[in-house]
Amino acid sequence: MTAVISPKKEKFIIPIGPQHPALKEPGHFEFAVDGEIVTEATVRLGYVHRGIEKGAEARNWTQNLYLVERICGICSHIHALTYALGVEVLAEVEVPPRAQAIRVLVAELERIHSHLLWFGVAAHEAGFDTLFMYSWRDRETIMDILEALTGNRVNYSANVLGGVKFDISDEQRKVILDGLDFLEKRTHHYLDVATSDGMFLQRTRGIGITRLQDAQRLGIVGPTARASGVMRDVRVDAPYAAYDMFPINIVVETAGDLEARFVVRLKELFESFRLVREILDNLPPGDLQAKRFPRRIKPGEVISRVEAPRGEVFYYIRSNGSDMPERVKVRTPTLCNMASVLSLAVGHHLADMPMLLVGIDPCFSCNDRGVSICSSQGEHGRWTWERLRQFGIDYYANKV
Amino acid sequence: MDSVVNVAALLVFPGGLFVIAAGLFYEWIDRKIIARLQNRLGPRWFQPFADTVKLLAKEEIVPERVNPILFVALPLTALAGALTAALYVPMAGLKPAFSFPGDLIVTVYMLSLLTLCTGLAGATTRDRFSLVGATRTLTQLFAYEAPFLLALLGPAIAAGSWQISEITAYTETHVWILVTQPIGFIVALIGLMGKLELPPFDSPEAETEIVAGALTEYSGRGLAIFHLGKGVELVIGLTLITSFYLGGLSNPLAFVLKTVGLLVVLAALQSLMTRLRIDQTVGLWWRYGALLVLVQWLILFVIQIV
Repeated sequence: MTAVISPKKEKFIIPIGPQHPALKEPGHFEFAVDGEIVTEATVRLGYVHRGIEKGAEARNWTQNLYLVERICGICSHIHALTYALGVEVLAEVEVPPRAQAIRVLVAELERIHSHLLWFGVAAHEAGFDTLFMYSWRDRETIMDILEALTGNRVNYSANVLGGVKFDISDEQRKVILDGLDFLEKRTHHYLDVATSDGMFLQRTRGIGITRLQDAQRLGIVGPTARASGVMRDVRVDAPYAAYDMFPINIVVETAGDLEARFVVRLKELFESFRLVREILDNLPPGDLQAKRFPRRIKPGEVISRVEAPRGEVFYYIRSNGSDMPERVKVRTPTLCNMASVLSLAVGHHLADMPMLLVGIDPCFSCNDRGVSICSSQGEHGRWTWERLRQFGIDYYANKV
Repeated sequence: MDSVVNVAALLVFPGGLFVIAAGLFYEWIDRKIIARLQNRLGPRWFQPFADTVKLLAKEEIVPERVNPILFVALPLTALAGALTAALYVPMAGLKPAFSFPGDLIVTVYMLSLLTLCTGLAGATTRDRFSLVGATRTLTQLFAYEAPFLLALLGPAIAAGSWQISEITAYTETHVWILVTQPIGFIVALIGLMGKLELPPFDSPEAETEIVAGALTEYSGRGLAIFHLGKGVELVIGLTLITSFYLGGLSNPLAFVLKTVGLLVVLAALQSLMTRLRIDQTVGLWWRYGALLVLVQWLILFVIQIV
């Protein structure tokens, strides 16, 4: 993330973060306000940089599967899936269709849980706690399903290189279908609330309008982009895993405001319900894992993309022929969408800021990468260890 | 003897201990009902009391570059104002402890003292969240205050007196004013929600934007006293509205039934609505609240003249 630091001027700045009730994860936003209207917005990310990309270089191919799963707690399966798909291409291993279908199944269940979670958080930011409590209560259904399926609520570890770990039994199938019936009913209700509750619409309709050309210019991804009419979904554009067998219908709205983002995400839930049912009815027969997966992978590089609940997840993986990757580069959708928050903030009310921020469904831990600082007084580029050390010494020497 | 009764009225009943305890109890009812409506368990019955004790026991941190006298005096003034107001209302269905012509106005402004002190408390600190919260608190004060007062004056006009005890005597013997002045009742009820900064009028303390609003810098004793003041104000507000609009409060049982009934309505309204932005709050009050109550007055005058 490249942040622009400008010299301080006399302004009334409302800091949001790194510790703030609106943020569930640390990030720092500075909103200069004139009364209640925001006149300037800056962001500083990187509080939860964990060095995972570097860590991946010191682990073997299998160990990394579990490492990348911990990049994000909400879309843990998606990261493992992206990584596994990439590594399988590098290793030239064919994954059995049944395994691919189960991967997609878990991915869609995860999308349901992620979107319901987001819905609750967004309602909370708008000050509608009743909706927050109800949607999170219903989300428990999907969490229970995921636990019944994989044994875990958060990091499911469904993938292995070359396949998946588990099959779906008849009892599990029934649990999933029952849960989905309940959730489908509830989602209809939520869609009704999000599009017809007058008080709620006062906070969402016409707020934070991102036009199609802006969305394209800023490179916004995922449901946020689809709410502005961008026809972009990796599941459709470049079907991976079993999405060519089980195609999805892309959900697009054109209004580009917060309401549209609610509608897109809620409608995507119906698409996920449909897809999960379809997969359960037409699960292809066959093995769960490839027969053999090599320990060392011959030199090469690969790009792997999948559609996470928040948008496109991008992996670049390079092998040098050893049992460890030479480089794993991750780009998460939040980073692509962050620019839209800053560009939208100016001119809106301070009260809309938490809503706008949550509108992109941010995930700070996922997006925190190495930071390069561009100061307006020159000083570009990377800091060496020596320079960082000297900076620390000078900082504390000047502080006293 | 007289002075003993007066001191008791100030410190035990209806002011002082009784109204503070009632405030804590009503706060619990409010929290519990909202929690149940939101599919949560909610606090145990002594939770507000436990919170207060805990806060009172904690260190009070006075921030730097703040006038310490003002910082300590503001919560006390706020609570004192609310407690004084309790003396003029028919607390627990009994006669007000003190009464004089025009005490309705005094009571309403005693209640506003709490809001005013909250605003000042935010404005004296240098915390940015406090400053924005204070601005919003005072903005909201100007939004709801006039319609709320006008809504309370509706029954006063019907009774032909601005003395709370006389208005109560009138409402006890006549048909509920809720029936004859429904618009005034709605404005008064929503005005009370605005006064207490309950959702959807909680933008002055919107946690997702400005943390705790004007009271962000308060901890320990000051915060506890502000909370107590708010509880007292809740009880007095409910008492005023029930005694004016819901057929008076002739005995303690009627007091409990009617005020708790009204509190259930308040809690349901709170859990149904999304927080309004401060500009939307002001717009709501001056575009609809004030106009509605003026329409109510017009009807009232026309009827009285005819």
